[in-house]
Formats: sequence, C-alpha cells, structure tokens
Amino acid sequence: MATAPRRAPRLSYRAQKRLKRAALYLTALVVSVFVTVPVYLMVVIAIQSPAATFSGGRVNLVPAEVTLRNFRVLLETTSTVRYFANSLVVTASSTVLSTAIAVAAGYGLTRFEFRGKRLAARAVLFSYMFSPIVLAIPLYVIFFALGLLNSYFALTLALTAISAPFTIWLMWQYFQTVPIALEESAWVRGAGRWRTLRDVVLPVARPGYISAAIFAFAVAWNDFTMARVVMSRDEMYTITVGASLFLDRVTIGWGETMAVSLLIAVPPFLIALFLQQYLLQGFSVGGLE
Amino acid sequence: MSAATGERVRERFDGATWLLAACFLPLVAFFAVVWVAPILYALWMSLFRDPVNQPTFVGLGNYVDLLTAPPFWGYLWNSVVYAVSTTVLSLLVGLGLALVVNQRVRGGAALRTMMIFPYLLPTLVVIFMWKFILDPNIGVLNQALVSAGLVEEPIAFFSTLEWAMPAVVVTSVWKFGSFSFFILLARLQAIDSDLYERARVEGATTWQAFRDITLPHLRSAILIILLVRGIWMFNKFDIIFLSTRGGPLQKTTTLPIRIYQLAFNEVNFGLATALAGIMFLLLAAAAAVYFRAFAPEEEVSG
Repeated sequence: MATAPRRAPRLSYRAQKRLKRAALYLTALVVSVFVTVPVYLMVVIAIQSPAATFSGGRVNLVPAEVTLRNFRVLLETTSTVRYFANSLVVTASSTVLSTAIAVAAGYGLTRFEFRGKRLAARAVLFSYMFSPIVLAIPLYVIFFALGLLNSYFALTLALTAISAPFTIWLMWQYFQTVPIALEESAWVRGAGRWRTLRDVVLPVARPGYISAAIFAFAVAWNDFTMARVVMSRDEMYTITVGASLFLDRVTIGWGETMAVSLLIAVPPFLIALFLQQYLLQGFSVGGLE
Repeated sequence: MSAATGERVRERFDGATWLLAACFLPLVAFFAVVWVAPILYALWMSLFRDPVNQPTFVGLGNYVDLLTAPPFWGYLWNSVVYAVSTTVLSLLVGLGLALVVNQRVRGGAALRTMMIFPYLLPTLVVIFMWKFILDPNIGVLNQALVSAGLVEEPIAFFSTLEWAMPAVVVTSVWKFGSFSFFILLARLQAIDSDLYERARVEGATTWQAFRDITLPHLRSAILIILLVRGIWMFNKFDIIFLSTRGGPLQKTTTLPIRIYQLAFNEVNFGLATALAGIMFLLLAAAAAVYFRAFAPEEEVSG
C-alpha cells in the first residue's frame, strides 16, 4: 500500500456502499419482475372468464372477477381428468423405480469395493448428460416391435431412464457422507446386513432419497419428449402432451389453456414451498437438465 | 470359534452376497435395457436404409448423405447459436442474482423461493406463458410496445424469421437461469467472509474484492455450468418443439428437432438414427473434455 500508484479519485467507502445497495435492489427488482410477471399472467387469465380478460379490446390484467368457468369448460369438453390420471400413474411409478434403483446403487457403490468404479462413475455422468430425444428414437422402435407403445410400463421405463442417472449420482454422493461406522457398530451388536440396512442405513439416508425422489418426480411430471414419442393414443396422453394440443382446438382459448397450466403447476408449486431444502441439496451435487 | 459363531459368520456372508446382488442387479439390468441396448440398436439401425421395414445395408451411407447435404450444417449452426446464447445469458442472469441474494438483501429468501418456480414449472406451462406474452394479437408485450410507440405493427415473435430464435432463447433463459443461480449461490455462500473483511481493511474497492476474491472462487463452477448447461441446451428438444416446431422455414431447427422430424414426420429411421449417432459422437467428445478437465468422477471414486 505504501507504493500505491496514482489512480483515479475513488468514491468514499460510504458512497460505494450506497451505490452497491442501489445496484443490488435494482437487480433484484428487475429479476423478480421478469420471473413473476408470466406466472401472474397465468393465474389471472386462469381465474377470469375470457370475456372479462379481453373486454374492451385489450388484455385486462387486474382481475375483475374470480370464476371457475375455465376449469368447468376443461372438465366438460376435454379429457383433462384422464390426462392427469395418466400423468400421475407414470410419474408415481417412475419416481418409485428411479429412487429405488438409486438407493440400491448408491449403497452398493459406496459399501462394496470393486474395480472399475471410475468407469461406473463416468458411465453415470455420461448418461446424465445424454439427450432424451436420441434415446427416445431407438426406444420407440423397440417398444413398437414389442407392442408396448401406449402402455404405462413403457413410459415408466423411458421416464426412469432420464431421471435415474441423476438420482443414482445423488445417492452415490449422499451415501459417501454416511459414515460406515454406524453400520459397523450395528453388525458388532449382532444385527445382520439386511436389518442394518432397514434400521440404520435407510433412516439416515432419508434426506438423500427424498431429494432424489423430488428430482425424479420433477423430471417425470415435466416430461413432454418421452410421452410424446411413446404415447400416440388420446386416452393414453399425459397431461403435458394432451394439453399441448389444446391451443390447436377451436373450442379452447387462452382462459382454459391457462387454467390447465395452473393445474399442472400445482405440484411444482407445493414442492417449491414445502420441500425447498431437499431441492437445494440436490443442486449442491449438480441439479438436473 | 464355536459352531454358533461360525454359523453367524456364514449367515452374514450370505447376507452380504445377497445384498451385493440386490444392489447391483437392478442397476445393471436397468442400464442394459434402457441405455446400452437402445444406443447400440440405434447405431446398428443407422447403417441401414429403411431399418424398420425393409432393411438394406448401406454402411456409412446415411452419415454421408447427412453430412454432404447443406441443411445439416444449418441445423448444426442453429444448435450452436441456441446452446451458446441460452447458456451464456442464463449464466449471467444466475450470476447477477446469486450475487444479490448472497448480500443478504431484504427479501432474499423470497427471491430464492421464487427462482425455484421457473426451474420446476413444466416446459409446456412456460411455453404457454410466453406464447401469450409474445402473441401478435393479444400479447401483452406487443400491446405495450405498440402503445409506447416503439413499434408500428405488432410482431409475431415465434413465427417471423428474425425473431423466432430470440423468442425461443428468451423463453429458455427464463426457465433455465435458476439452474446457474442455485449452483453459484451455493458456491458464494461457501466463501469465507473474513476474506472480504481483510480486503476492505486493506482498502480494496468492491470491484477489486469481486475480481480477486469472488471470481476465483466461482471459476470452476462457472466453467462447469458453461459446459454441462451448454451440452443440455444443445440437446434440448421440448422447449423448441413446443414453441416453434423448428420453424419458421427451419430457422429454429436444431439437431434434436431434426431427428424428431426425420423419424416421425418423414418416417426415415435410417437418417434419424444416423443423426442421433452424430449427436452421440459430439456428446462423447464433449464428455471427454469434461472428464479430462474436471475429473468429476473423483467426487465418488477418489
């Protein structure tokens, strides 16, 4: 500091700090507007009748009324309920499958010594970066040949294929943080491997597999690509595929479209609100797509 | 060693063997069925003309056809433009906001919760929102632009040649910006605050502290985001398909969109799987860079 060169006059520390605060709040404001406005539009249009939304030849964005009209139209003129049921079935089954494989794999990969761990880790990471559409094409041909198109089974497998690489990676990392000493002390006290697993390992791993399940759920609930490829019959569409065709129909307008969007957004909304810490834990090992 | 203990040891060994099988059989079976078999099958199919109905072996013919037709390079260019612009922009948005929230501004926790929504909202919902905002007839953006006198005529963002790609990019950044936000925020919160205190005592400006403390700590995270997010955006199918189907005039057709078109619109599985094969090779090259530069597998096998 003694030989500090001449430099342009600096702002005082307080002025710098005030400038910084202003910049901070400005950024925060801009980003929150950017993030919230689309969500706000969706909600307002969903709960107003189209007549109220578009009255006067412009879009009215201050809700003048609250009505369930759009939801009623959805129920009466579309198979929304069926689509939701399909989505729930495949999402639930692929979440369970993906989490189960991940817990077993994560436990095995950290508790047994074997050669080729590096290779296994690279294989998991490679599939984690893979393109769903590249996988979807051969899966389509295989399911077609086996007569499995339009089945819950096929879509469950396909969805698990995209979520499993990340859930495995997550559980692998998670089990590394669970000290093996816990298990060893249970063995010393005479508990078998399986009992130890049930009574010691699984309870400790709970935050890990909840977070894995959330990511698996989000992948399956979000999915459009796999469902679009595997399901071609209307009664087997998931909600994302079914609703994606709504805008092409004459009978369905923006009100109903936003209403169905709002319904699709409910599970993610609940996760963001109540299960946030598990999600952030997942991000600490990489996050997904 | 008594007989009873011997029995117990054997029992435990058996238990361990079964456990080993229970851990790895599902993993191996699953990977074989949904990853290895389909990928090998796709590479095999790519060597035939009409592989599904009347296979004729053409060797690398499909690859040659693809690579020598000029449109391929256009689709590749679109993929690169889309991947680079969405990755860089979402990194900047995520970095800016992570720096803000890390300063413990009022409402920072609420901002963090808010940022989860775009990431978790299904792509379809995101597309609906942005199609509404950018709609030429009723879209709020056009309404605002016209009434502010910035444009004379409303712009059909998703269906005009020069605006389709920017519209898809903005929509994608909205959805994926939070990915880099969460990863960078976690890194920022791990920086020792004493470093900043010491820098302040020594008279460093905010900018100098950012340059010499914050950036070096974020460097590896930023590089990983650029690489991994870049790969994912390069692979992205649903967000582009749902917003433009690759149009207008193939202006937003990226390689994944083209694969879908070849397979399901033109029912040409030979070319579709060959293009998938090309993407597979590109991905393998990117993965090789990733493994060499960051050795991510050491997090679990080291």
